[in-house]
Amino acid sequence: MQNKTLTWLIVLVVFIALMVIASLLTGPEGARLSGITWIIFTLIAAVIIYAIYFATAANEAWEVGTREVVYMAIGAALFGVLTWWANTLALPSVSLVSLRPTVCLPVFFGFVFGPVVGFFTGAVGNIIGDFLTGWGVYPAWDIANGFMGLIPGLILLFANKRRGLNALTVVVAVLVVIAAAIILINPVIPDPWTGEDTNFGLWAWLFLIGGAVVIAGRFLLERVSVELAAVNIWGTLGIIIGIGFAAIADIWINGYSFFVAMVGEFAPAAGSNILNAMILTPILLAAYRAVQVRAGR
Amino acid sequence: MLIAWKYRERDTIIQRLDPRARIIFMLAMLFSVIQFWDLRITLGFLALGLAQYFLARLTWRDTRRSWLLISILIIFMTILTFLTGRGGVATAYFEEHVLAQLGPLSLPIVGWSLTIAISVEKAIFALTQMVRMYAITSLAIAVPYTVDPSLYGVTFRGLGLPDKFAYAMDLAFRFVPTLGRDFSITLDSQRARGYEVEKLEGGIIAQIRKLAPLIVPVTINAIVGAEDIIDAMDLRCFGVGKRTWLQKLKYKRADWALIAFSVLLFVVSTAVRVALPALGRVWVPDFVLAWAGF
Repeated sequence: MQNKTLTWLIVLVVFIALMVIASLLTGPEGARLSGITWIIFTLIAAVIIYAIYFATAANEAWEVGTREVVYMAIGAALFGVLTWWANTLALPSVSLVSLRPTVCLPVFFGFVFGPVVGFFTGAVGNIIGDFLTGWGVYPAWDIANGFMGLIPGLILLFANKRRGLNALTVVVAVLVVIAAAIILINPVIPDPWTGEDTNFGLWAWLFLIGGAVVIAGRFLLERVSVELAAVNIWGTLGIIIGIGFAAIADIWINGYSFFVAMVGEFAPAAGSNILNAMILTPILLAAYRAVQVRAGR
Repeated sequence: MLIAWKYRERDTIIQRLDPRARIIFMLAMLFSVIQFWDLRITLGFLALGLAQYFLARLTWRDTRRSWLLISILIIFMTILTFLTGRGGVATAYFEEHVLAQLGPLSLPIVGWSLTIAISVEKAIFALTQMVRMYAITSLAIAVPYTVDPSLYGVTFRGLGLPDKFAYAMDLAFRFVPTLGRDFSITLDSQRARGYEVEKLEGGIIAQIRKLAPLIVPVTINAIVGAEDIIDAMDLRCFGVGKRTWLQKLKYKRADWALIAFSVLLFVVSTAVRVALPALGRVWVPDFVLAWAGF
């Protein structure tokens, strides 16, 4: 156990070092790491991951064998390359939060290959993608992408994928309603990027509609396959927790107010990511299962 | 298209150094240079970075594309800093000698109104920022050209990462050019079938759904290919026992000297920065203020 703790600590330290290097090599000056808040939030994220890990360490979902090593690499490289492509593609966007179809990748890799693969795919892939694009590195957002892969991977802790799905659906519904309520309480806030007063009220309704579609989709997809229903719910939860973490971290890192962080960052980023993941991940999962059946492995 | 990692064997003093020692040096210089906003100091770091670049015997022809891409970014960020002063106000300088006021300017499309104050401090801050970015770039740009990609894994391992994660990092970096090429081929294939990613039509959900013909084949193809890699690795008993690496890295005298220099550089930089806090702020030469009429 002690060795494993040390291993994970070393992984964390190297991860932070990589973020520093990448940030310094590519980041615009204003977006670079400054102060120690980003380290504190990286550590908070690490504590959350360790808590989940140590509570379920005996489960084989955490094992890292040959398969996991290769899929970690493939996932991170794919996410990096496709993120680079998506970043350069003029997709419809709100604020500076672009529509990222590639968000389906950490969700998919986490759901299929486990939490470690999912986290690595999201976190390292996001660093590679930003590195290739020449954008700065945002540690909280790298970890957020890691969470988007880690949380769906936690389904492997359950032998029965149907188990807990109803409870999880309720959790997602409650989180969506809370997020929408926060936006509606104070919809007009200064845009985080421009400083102009902007009405983000539309995002509350989009959030509610998106949440309703996710939940309706869960019941519809369940008729076809429990797995397709589960990937949507787990993926949505991963995105809400991941983006929520990054947005709340920005309250201290970028000095945003709570409402600016939630309304200006969380809502657009989480909303668009959920939409992308909800549509593309089931297609990807169905294609993967079909290939798996055909290949017999 | 993506820039592939372009390594070529060159018999230079830089390439003979252990990659771990070079990474330690790079980290030490990065953590040192970011402590200063004094142009004189950052110019010193730029000289150090360029010395490494030239000792690696890299030519303009080799690195032209990377320089151009990075320069576009650096110059864009410098102009932005020059116009807005972002990142410097109240951190690197606390008073401004305003040279001129531009505006209010009305931005097309968004309709924002901007008033830009050009000051001596803002200009020197932007210049220092550019020098600092080029100092870091000159150091980092040599890495993909002079570190053998087959050493990435053993280097990460040597820096303390567990074997499996070191290998995953190694593979991830190596897969980037391959997957970039596969993605390009898939994009061309779909275009040949009439798929136009630039002209996706329909509502937002329809547009996202129409990206599937691009994302799904690339991902599934990579996963199918990964099975062969897994088989090959399993056949070689990957992860069964304590891992050995084909290439062995061993510190030589020159590496130890570089590590010692790196530690010294960082320690001295930090000590100087603590002793002279003014070096963490923008240095405005008196002759510039006199020339500007202040």
